[in-house]
Amino acid sequence: MNRKRALIADTFCLTKRRRCAADSVTGDSQADGAADIRSSLQYLMTLFSRKLFNDSLPPVVLKHQLYSLHNDKTAVDKQVNELRENGELLMFQLGFDSEAFALVFAEDYRAKVLQGEAGRGTLGTVEKFLAKLIPSCSDLSFNKEKMLKEFLFTDSEITQLVKSGVLTVRDAGSWWLSIPNSGKFIKYFIKGRKAVLGMVKKSKYGEVLKTELEGRRTTSQVKFQMKYHIHEIIGAELVECIQTTSGTLLRHVDGNVN
Amino acid sequence: MLSFLYARQSGLDDPVRLRRAESTRRVLSLELNHNRDVDRIHGNGINTLDTEVIDGRYMLSGGSDGVIVIYDLENNSKKPQYTCKAICTVGRSSRHVHKFSVETVQWYPHDTGMFVSSSFDKTMKVWDTETLKPAEEFQFDGNVYCHHMSPVARKQSLVAVGTKDPKVQLCDLKSGSRIHILQGHRGEILSVRWSPRYDHILATASTDSRVRIWDVRRASGSLFTLDQHNGDKSKASSEAVNTAHNGRVNGLCFTADGLHLLSTGTDDRMRLWNSGTGENTLVNYGKVVNESRKGLKFTVSRGCSPEFVFVPCGSSVAVYGLHSGELITMLRGHYNNVDCCEFHPDYQELYSGGKDCNILAWVPVLRQPGIEDDETNSKRGGTQAAINPAFEDAWSSDED
Repeated sequence: MNRKRALIADTFCLTKRRRCAADSVTGDSQADGAADIRSSLQYLMTLFSRKLFNDSLPPVVLKHQLYSLHNDKTAVDKQVNELRENGELLMFQLGFDSEAFALVFAEDYRAKVLQGEAGRGTLGTVEKFLAKLIPSCSDLSFNKEKMLKEFLFTDSEITQLVKSGVLTVRDAGSWWLSIPNSGKFIKYFIKGRKAVLGMVKKSKYGEVLKTELEGRRTTSQVKFQMKYHIHEIIGAELVECIQTTSGTLLRHVDGNVN
Repeated sequence: MLSFLYARQSGLDDPVRLRRAESTRRVLSLELNHNRDVDRIHGNGINTLDTEVIDGRYMLSGGSDGVIVIYDLENNSKKPQYTCKAICTVGRSSRHVHKFSVETVQWYPHDTGMFVSSSFDKTMKVWDTETLKPAEEFQFDGNVYCHHMSPVARKQSLVAVGTKDPKVQLCDLKSGSRIHILQGHRGEILSVRWSPRYDHILATASTDSRVRIWDVRRASGSLFTLDQHNGDKSKASSEAVNTAHNGRVNGLCFTADGLHLLSTGTDDRMRLWNSGTGENTLVNYGKVVNESRKGLKFTVSRGCSPEFVFVPCGSSVAVYGLHSGELITMLRGHYNNVDCCEFHPDYQELYSGGKDCNILAWVPVLRQPGIEDDETNSKRGGTQAAINPAFEDAWSSDED
């Protein structure tokens, strides 16, 4: 008897989904596949404000922003890793939070770094590093033996890479992979996140509708687009996301000092 | 559900499959039941709960006031409204009661004649259930956070004890000796668990952010340490290499088949590990709020098809799918922090205890009787469907 067995889990609709009105486009994306993550990444990249950094930074997206768009975190992680293995996506440790990872498309990264390096003496070394890095390597940090033996860099070349911003010191003898000129990004990002969380906290009852928050005027502290920050705080679970009949409600969670 | 019944009836499916489907359905419909109550004896928070393995009838609870209570969970009254009565307690008036908070209690795995309790008064007592007097008492140097006896061991009867001391102590119940120690951790041991699959595998969790797996038959150190990055040294900062969590690890639970191990830590994460290889399965549960300074007691369901994890999260119990990592629901009902929860596999019920001194029973909601029942009633009784039972007699008939 040839009978395809269905999973017991599929018989029971595991999560009750209340119909909610007037929510943003990217509410439920059920289709699987790396293509789906890629389109979400592209959407999030459009939210990144390029003009703010005078076009010197590639569009950066945080990994947990994807969690606010897709329900299954494990699947998101798996697909991001797949993209990294293929050499399409690069992941960076941002340094202010051990769980916050930044994602940049590899071509964007290469283009911006070379653009920033044009005319400087370190261009050659950086090109060599990028050529080694992008096709295969999916590491976040490098230690000395790896740089010397595998990549065949000399000490002075490593110093040049640190100077150009592609590597950041992690501790004696090892370096994080980093985005050049990202200091400003991190500073504005942390300030903006704090300001947006403050807006949610100061609202009446400590909660605000997502659509209303998106429409609010941003203070001078918030340099990025509101939607960028909102995806980030939802994905990092700094606010609780509650479905109501008037849309998604963001409620401030106690115990978050940020 | 009808398809499962039909498949079972006609032999298309294994009998186990119907049982699993029904168990899963029951777990998905867990709710606070106003008919089921547990006697409120504790004056202070409840730290630990344990149900006995043989019948699933008696439950032990240990509280912050040092009191230990035994409840009878079975409903022998014919009414749906039922309070689980406390059969006996080791109260403050008993001579042998623990001086400070009882952190862990556990029934002897093979019968209910004995149970073991450990407490912050630096002792672990082995009690005789009949007389409620300790048959054995083990003294330690520091607060005892947790202890565990192997549920499958037949040949050995070791109790693993985790205390403030970084050394894990193994006490032998048969001889009363405690010379076996396991060295390797560098911080207080917050949780110890024996594997339900092998009687020599022990997992320990400590404030030094590490989880170690030991084989107690070997004289050397631990078998391996669980690494959250699976050996990928580039992901972590250099101090955090080879750690299971980015904070204190305060909860451990094996799945029922012993193949997977769950650990929770104060970095607000829960991780699922393959217990044979120590590999992080990278299932992402999201933020599992965890602020507990001592151990957190959580539990995994048994007998359902996608297994569920029940984790106390603040003042509610969060239910996650084990392998998918998605949050199924939050069970809200406690007034204060929840400290422990216990799953009853035969009835698919969950008991949870917390700082509000209540033990709440979460019972699967039964399906309401359908419309067909009303119709058959009306066919039988005709116009006299709503007769008062006091006026019913056994000899008159309505069919004339």
